[in-house]
Amino acid sequence: MVLRALLFCSLLLTALSLNAKTVYTLKFATLVPTGTSWTKILDDWIREVERESDGRLKFKMYPGGVMGDEPDVLRKIRKGQLHGGLFTGYGIGRIYSPARVLEVPFLFKDTDESDYVRDHMMPAFEKGFRENGFELLGWPEIGFIHLFSKYPVSSLDDMRKRHIWLWQGDPLGEAFFEAADIAPVPLSIIDVYPQLSAKHGSIDTVYVSTFGAIALQWYTQLKYGTHIAVTNAIGGLVVSNRFFNKLPDDLKQLLKTTGARMSAAIREQARAENLRSKKLLEQNGITFLWDWKDASEEEFIAIRDKAAKHLRDTDYIPADIFEQTRQLLEQYRHEQQAAQSSDNTAVN
Amino acid sequence: MRLLVVSLILLTLSACSMNEMMVRASMPMLEGGIHAMNQETDLDLAEAAIPANLKMLESLIQLDPDNATLHTYAAQGYYGLAYGFNEDTRPLRAAKFYIRGMKHGFTALRLLGMSDAASLSQDKLEAELKKLDKDDVAALFWTASNWAKWVDINRDKPEGIIALPKTTALMRRVLELDETFYYGGAHMYFGVYYGARAPMFGGDFKKAEKHFNRAREINDNNLLIVDVLQAQYLERQRFDKKKFNQLLTRVENAPDDLDPDMALMNQIAKRKAKALLTRESSWF
Repeated sequence: MVLRALLFCSLLLTALSLNAKTVYTLKFATLVPTGTSWTKILDDWIREVERESDGRLKFKMYPGGVMGDEPDVLRKIRKGQLHGGLFTGYGIGRIYSPARVLEVPFLFKDTDESDYVRDHMMPAFEKGFRENGFELLGWPEIGFIHLFSKYPVSSLDDMRKRHIWLWQGDPLGEAFFEAADIAPVPLSIIDVYPQLSAKHGSIDTVYVSTFGAIALQWYTQLKYGTHIAVTNAIGGLVVSNRFFNKLPDDLKQLLKTTGARMSAAIREQARAENLRSKKLLEQNGITFLWDWKDASEEEFIAIRDKAAKHLRDTDYIPADIFEQTRQLLEQYRHEQQAAQSSDNTAVN
Repeated sequence: MRLLVVSLILLTLSACSMNEMMVRASMPMLEGGIHAMNQETDLDLAEAAIPANLKMLESLIQLDPDNATLHTYAAQGYYGLAYGFNEDTRPLRAAKFYIRGMKHGFTALRLLGMSDAASLSQDKLEAELKKLDKDDVAALFWTASNWAKWVDINRDKPEGIIALPKTTALMRRVLELDETFYYGGAHMYFGVYYGARAPMFGGDFKKAEKHFNRAREINDNNLLIVDVLQAQYLERQRFDKKKFNQLLTRVENAPDDLDPDMALMNQIAKRKAKALLTRESSWF
């Protein structure tokens, strides 16, 4: 009798567990501070995923760098304490450095060019991330990176006279400064503001997006900015394979489609914010100098190619990735030229 | 005809001074009212009474629009109404109150001789702040408090974030002129300022802790909101769950009669602590 009751209970429990839905909790960290437009977009994404998955995929979000800087977050993901994050190029370089081909200095003239190349390179990047333990969900963007200084900077010679900050441990920055024959001052990002505000600080010039200059309050210590952007900084939304591969197919698909859409929304937001921020900086006393029309394009191309060679030689960005990027860019520019000529013909 | 004009001018002048005299005569009553409100232990009663007091204050401002003290009281009142009773449940309403408080604060500062703080460049603002002295601390503090909350609400826009160095300059001046004002309020501001951000964004946890501790010294550890702010901003940011819980539990269990002059703010702190504790599992 007792045995029969036990058997019945065990069958009942099995049936219940088959019916119960498995709930997955994605622990997600980012440096993006709470309350910003980006975290609002992230929050909307989380709500959408939780709703569309009928509560089977939940999030635990750690914004504002509470889990440490990007190398810390990556370490925690690799240990399984976290599962995903939204990273800048600095962190992406530690996952799959070839993707930083999109950040090679002076490569793209505008976001249409970088969008075209990125969209075509996505399958290769996704494969690269996957082989390095991550699923790439989307591609947000930090935006164009300008130089900001306490002194006017309107030529490469001016740059060489300045004490320019280099984000310590960033191979792409190192390659650029070496190619431009500039001796930068390597510092952790944490030390930038204190050094800028100190009376005899070690740096007088930094590189950051216009929105970043406001968000980090660096602009309060600076007087000048450059119209010329050194690069267009990337971002990446990733989840560890260890977590992603445990998910059923429908949840994998849900994460991929919504993640890509959310990243595109952040990209658009960043572009709009950077434009508004430039105007605000001008209104708040920052003078922008050095436009493309005042610069020698050949000089920049020479620096870009020299930096690219260094990155190829060190295998940070392999030659085949460079070659694919170059071909795509050429193809895009050719298509644009062709479209323009056909427009002109139509008008005539 | 000339006599009529002279009489009219005299009448207008005497009407003005009558109004001002009446307002000035009612100042002790007003100050007594603020003191009594700060001693209130019943949150519902305070919430019901503050709007009526604010409307009375605004009617006095209509009678005496150039009275900087009245504008400062209004800035303080709107801050209290927003922070104590609306921010956690009706954030949009709170945002509107912070804007009202900010406008009264700017008017008070203008009446004290400053140009429009919001439109000045950072350099000019800091130069103008040097002209203010200890008598102007209340106007500075309540303007900066409302303005900083406006920044906080508008963190999703560059237009909001760009004002933070300005509110901070105002509060830094408070610290220089009278660090003890409002139980060490400027130290609480800097505790949040350095505690709410990761070090890479300008946060500094040691400095934050130092400011919170200095505020505690100033108010003899009797103002519970210091613990609430430290838990909410610093401990959440530095991911110290134990300290978060410890601080908020202390607030929840503190006696109601800790300090009669801070009774209302301490009741607000208790309610906030209770709400924050419910979020512990989602933040840590």
